[in-house]
Amino acid sequence: MRLRIRRFISQLVLSPSLALVAVFLYGFIGWTVAVSTTASKASPRFDRFVGLEQYVRLFDTPRWNVAFSNMFLFGFLFLVVTIGFGLLIAVLIDQRIRFEGVFRSIVMYPMAMSFVVTGVVWQWLLSPTLGIQSLVAGWGFTGFHIDWLTNPSTVIWALVVAAFWQGCGLAMALFLAGLRGIDEDIWKAAAVDGIPAWRVYLHIVVPMLAPVFLTVIVLQSLAIVRAFDLVVALTNGGPGVSSDLPSVFMFDMAFRRANLGLSAASAVVMLGTVLAILVPYLYVESRERR
Amino acid sequence: MIDIRVVDCHKSYGQVRILRDISLDIERGEFIVLLGPSGCGKSTLLHIIAGLEPLTSGSIEIGGRDVTDLEPKDRDIAMVFQSYALYPTMSVRANMEFGLRMRGRPLAEIRAVVEEKAKMLGIDHLLDRRPSQLSGGQRQRVAIGRAVVREPRVFLFDEPLSNLDAKLRGSMRTEIKKLHRRLGTTVIYVTHDQLEAMTLATRLVVMKAGVMQQVGTPDEVYHRPLNRFTADFLGSPGMNFLDAVLRLAEGRVWAEVGRTVIPLDRYAFIERPVDGRPVVLGLRPDSIRPADGAEAAFTLDLKATLIEHTGSENHVVFDLDGREVTGKFPAEFGLEVGRTLPVAFDLARLSLFDTETELRI
Repeated sequence: MRLRIRRFISQLVLSPSLALVAVFLYGFIGWTVAVSTTASKASPRFDRFVGLEQYVRLFDTPRWNVAFSNMFLFGFLFLVVTIGFGLLIAVLIDQRIRFEGVFRSIVMYPMAMSFVVTGVVWQWLLSPTLGIQSLVAGWGFTGFHIDWLTNPSTVIWALVVAAFWQGCGLAMALFLAGLRGIDEDIWKAAAVDGIPAWRVYLHIVVPMLAPVFLTVIVLQSLAIVRAFDLVVALTNGGPGVSSDLPSVFMFDMAFRRANLGLSAASAVVMLGTVLAILVPYLYVESRERR
Repeated sequence: MIDIRVVDCHKSYGQVRILRDISLDIERGEFIVLLGPSGCGKSTLLHIIAGLEPLTSGSIEIGGRDVTDLEPKDRDIAMVFQSYALYPTMSVRANMEFGLRMRGRPLAEIRAVVEEKAKMLGIDHLLDRRPSQLSGGQRQRVAIGRAVVREPRVFLFDEPLSNLDAKLRGSMRTEIKKLHRRLGTTVIYVTHDQLEAMTLATRLVVMKAGVMQQVGTPDEVYHRPLNRFTADFLGSPGMNFLDAVLRLAEGRVWAEVGRTVIPLDRYAFIERPVDGRPVVLGLRPDSIRPADGAEAAFTLDLKATLIEHTGSENHVVFDLDGREVTGKFPAEFGLEVGRTLPVAFDLARLSLFDTETELRI
């Protein structure tokens, strides 16, 4: 009896949040999917079902294609740079250096900032009249130019650098935790075996960090798909639409261009991308548990 | 021939002294066991010999060469760790091969050595598995295999059996002993398990708080402990300690324990006995047995107050003038609590310690 009451109470306490999740998360996902099959304009209208037409239109829209391929290009570059430098910094900090806490904080601090602040900071740094360029020019190197923000073919690097600046700390922290979790005896055994430190990292330690790599990739990938504020603050999608990302496209279509149907379709494609990343990850995770 | 020489070795971390004044000569082919409670510095000493930790002062020689400042890989040693420390992402074969490859040996030769040693250890059918697919005992074999393939001058074992269950520990112990007999390599083995120490060692080093207490064959250390700590640390159940007073009378030496007087004619004194000197008398439970009527034995009539059955034998606690003494009795010996019976004491196996210094006298 007592047990039943206890179970009843726990269900009672949980039910509001479950209801909220059901309505505001899954309910609205369903609603968005529904809207994406209609020809809704400024406001949702369910009286004109058009099937998958919005999706066909979406992939016929040049701006979406730029945004969608930007996501993959940006994501790839960002992951490579973040994982590469994150791991390198973690390995360097792992050498039991002095002032480890200071270095760790320096790398971790940008993480505490919102993407909007990051975007604005890097906009200033990359601005020809305010930032690095004018500083270097002030030293006398007048030939030095950074035109990342104004050149459509390199503007993606501005996004990568700013996102890396913010995201590197997380990767470093995860890698460092992984490195610290490795049994000291492995290092001792390798020392007795006469294996040089770089080979221990390459052949033994980094393979042991495979789960950490997976976690970093998944976390950062999700950040990439969701990335919105960074683009808005740093480039606002420009020059032109060259640094657009799907989330910016979606926002624009829904709230500025009064094209809710197309916007919903792009949102569903983004959700699909997230699921394509998450589902294999969760599958691997649950298999490892067993 | 001396294989390893540890000279005046000291180790401290800041103010904390971990090892003091350790000097030890180890002959080729010996099986040295470093034994002591946790925190006694035995593992630190092993790591220092391996070169994994620097010395504060002193020197280490291996094979007549001063290796104090050499890297572990240049010391001609191999080590087996408590946690096995196998490389988890590599197959068993790669684990065993890796060290040899780093030394630039030709691959064909490496393959042959690994196959041979794997066969010897009975792990040749596991060569293509990952460590995570092996049981604890198999992992330990692989760890030993990784050490063996290098054919080093010295094997170092750091509590290799502590992570195994009791039964497996027993069989692995036997195998390590066989392995040592077959290879004839010098071994230094760290453990806190006295059974492992007694069965494996050709010589035993008992340590406490960074100081060597006694070095000797297991027999010597067990039967002639040099101080009370060693006497107490070895043996299960532990040695009986009784406060006594020495008495010299009629040209003979006696120990007075309460109202009981024990003759010490067969005790080999290190110091001259002095009348009235307070001492601690130590007697192993193995030396306290049922009287079988033999004339020579020293017997007392004692009351049994507690009986512990272990299966193979009974541990019987007797009352000796208000002091407790434990003896080992055969399991088939019929006995009940409260009965008084004649008990024989093997006085040749007795130890006497100073009450203050706790050293053997």
